[in-house]
Amino acid sequence: MSGAMELKRFLAHALEMEEEAMNRYRELAEALREHNNLLVADFFEAMAGESAKHLEEVKSFPIAGDLPVFDPWDYDWPADAPESTSYEAVHYRMDLRRALELALENEREAQAFYAQYAESTTDLETARLASSYAAEEADHARRLEERLKHLPPTSPSQFEDDDPAHIPE
Amino acid sequence: MMSAPLKARDYKSGVKPIWCPGCGHYSVLNAVTKAMAALALSRDDTVLVSGIGCSSRLPAYAESYGFHGVHGRGLAVAQGLKVARPDLTVIALGGDGDGFSIGGNHFLHACRRNVDITYIAMDNEVYGMTKGQASPTTAIDWEHSKLTPHGPGVRPFKPAAVALAAGAPWIARAYSGNPNQMARLISEAVSHSGFSFLHVLSQCITFCPEQTDWKTVVHEREAAPLTDAGEAAARFFGESGFETGLLYQNPRASWPPQRQREPASLADIAGRLRV
Repeated sequence: MSGAMELKRFLAHALEMEEEAMNRYRELAEALREHNNLLVADFFEAMAGESAKHLEEVKSFPIAGDLPVFDPWDYDWPADAPESTSYEAVHYRMDLRRALELALENEREAQAFYAQYAESTTDLETARLASSYAAEEADHARRLEERLKHLPPTSPSQFEDDDPAHIPE
Repeated sequence: MMSAPLKARDYKSGVKPIWCPGCGHYSVLNAVTKAMAALALSRDDTVLVSGIGCSSRLPAYAESYGFHGVHGRGLAVAQGLKVARPDLTVIALGGDGDGFSIGGNHFLHACRRNVDITYIAMDNEVYGMTKGQASPTTAIDWEHSKLTPHGPGVRPFKPAAVALAAGAPWIARAYSGNPNQMARLISEAVSHSGFSFLHVLSQCITFCPEQTDWKTVVHEREAAPLTDAGEAAARFFGESGFETGLLYQNPRASWPPQRQREPASLADIAGRLRV
């Protein structure tokens, strides 16, 4: 694969990853807001904003011609895009600490993906760009780690509900 | 001027889902819209049909035609629509209660009849919308409902085995924790000519929190799909139910036969009704 093609292939992956992360955070924010977990909803909304900024950065990279288009299952990740929170990892009673932990996992996965791409590509320009994206994700992760230090531990009764979903039948 | 290809988000409607956070159905919606985008389906020529239940809300969240029907009758509506309008892409969706209990008979005959539609059964082993009662696929000893405090006490329904016995020519299983595999399977199901049945393990975190463990047992089938019904029957009766992928494929002519597909004119119909 030529250097230009390799770079385009990488950008297509970065674009999909950042867009999927942004959309997923927005969906989760809406779901949590619907269930009146406003603290977590606001956090996910803010993370969607971060992903949107990164998405714009990827989109603005100057490159001639169109990027390749892949079917969702043909990207270089097994199940879901690396920076996307699993739909199934959240809970309507989750606290902010848990939300930050999930976001931290996402940033680390994204960093690992970009770092691995930088290591495996034979194109120097692609390697340079992938390394810089990996560094940005690492920085995001560090900021989340710092914020986590100031949060109280998760309460053992986090998922206890004063108005439980199960009702007497 | 050619319009830009639609993306998955273009197939989502402005109606926001009200499923519980953590529900697997979000993932199914994501996979359905990704498959629609990958197949470049026309939003004007695609119809999502459902019954009643949490999962059956999905057509409202998609930007296409939709019909949120009567409990258990999504398949009846979907087949009628496809026979009347064979030019449309018809996808029926519903849950385990809707599809295997209230609509169980329609499920059997949809498998047998083999109309060219796709059926996505979103199975969370519970009636979620009515606050967590045992469904046809609930484990025999599931004790989380006050209605069945000692478990339902009856063996769970095996969707793949029943579909096979009733004649379904295309049977696959997906998991909500793997939305991209699910999108691929939906895409293949829609492309299959005839009835395609996709059984989706879609967790209900609210009433069955133990289902978060599914991710540790779900595994993807590596071998090619089975083509022999006898072999598939032995497999489906003995399996754990956590193998995903295309499990069985044995195409046969769909219904109605070609000779019955010509649209009748009003004069033809009037002639037939004349005594």
